[in-house]
Amino acid sequence: MEEPKVELDDLEVNQDRLKQNTIQLKNVRVYGSLNAGVIAGILGMDGWIGIGIYVAIFFIVSTCLAIKMNFKVKEYFKSSYDAYYSGIGTDLLLFLMIWVIFHNLVNIL
Amino acid sequence: MSDILIDDRIRDWVFLPIIIVMFMIQMFRGLLTKYMDNRKTAQKVTSKAQVAEMIDKNITQQSQRLARLHGLLPDQSFKMKRAYLCDREQGILTKASQKPAKDPMQSMSMMNPVAMADMLKQNLSGIVFMALQYQWVSYFFSGFVIGKVPFPLTQKFRTMLQRGVDVQNLDVRYISSISIYFVLLFGGLQKIQQLMFGDDTDEFVDDTQMQMQMQMMGMPTMPSFGQQNDPGKLFIAERTRLEGVKHTFELNKSSDKALKSLKRFLIQ
Repeated sequence: MEEPKVELDDLEVNQDRLKQNTIQLKNVRVYGSLNAGVIAGILGMDGWIGIGIYVAIFFIVSTCLAIKMNFKVKEYFKSSYDAYYSGIGTDLLLFLMIWVIFHNLVNIL
Repeated sequence: MSDILIDDRIRDWVFLPIIIVMFMIQMFRGLLTKYMDNRKTAQKVTSKAQVAEMIDKNITQQSQRLARLHGLLPDQSFKMKRAYLCDREQGILTKASQKPAKDPMQSMSMMNPVAMADMLKQNLSGIVFMALQYQWVSYFFSGFVIGKVPFPLTQKFRTMLQRGVDVQNLDVRYISSISIYFVLLFGGLQKIQQLMFGDDTDEFVDDTQMQMQMQMMGMPTMPSFGQQNDPGKLFIAERTRLEGVKHTFELNKSSDKALKSLKRFLIQ
């Protein structure tokens, strides 16, 4: 029989606080992608440069988070992958929506 | 091809109204789901089949809880609990896994009228509004170009993004109004709504979008009641998982942990 996967169970991680932290992380990320969409839309960026802005702002948000946590990720989240990199695809659609809206409002219409 | 200039009135009377209306319908849907949830009363477990289902569910929950929190129990009590569940002849899990598999018709639990009403309510608050908005947008706002997407797309997207506009050589970047509807739908007005109006466990709002995405991908949406067509397999899996648990009583490690945290505290 294979070894069961070692993961942090309920006794080592305080679940309520982890849930609060993830909710806050999601909020911060949504703000980040909203801002990225507004910037990309108003400045009239085109194509891949716009997506580059989104990735750049995503990493800026992650860096600010790291500075706020004093770089000790394990005390606040399960892993550094979770805290820094994991949500980049889900907020991409939000960014696209805001980008299209603001690009149209400011530049075209 | 040079840029097309779009009339100001399109922005005032088409673009902004679509956004505002969709946002308001989204908020209204949230309130509606909250209202319906408040009115939902607890269902009484009446029929015998339902009692059997609840027993199965409780057994599964008990074994999962044991597998998760085994560190809280000392050795003897963990062994007793595990034997109660997993024993070869008399354990509850072995007995349960020997029951015959339920046929799928019964396990859909369509005979339960309360569950069906729940499903209908969920559909109402999700799909009907989507279809309504689609009809509204495509009836009133079809036939003209509404905006431009900022990124280059291939010709394959032309049918999706330029429905109703029949100009052949128009740049694919110019989109019609139904495509702004799709962009808003998939883009997630929900998230903005969650940001603005509190974060008190709106998990069910995500469910409709997930359901919709599953439908779009062609998979049939199974009613998510936790029905298994073959409960025997589930119990056998639970049993193997419990038997594989390496049990350590957390209190044994507590002196080490206290030493470690004391050292860390003193060193700082």
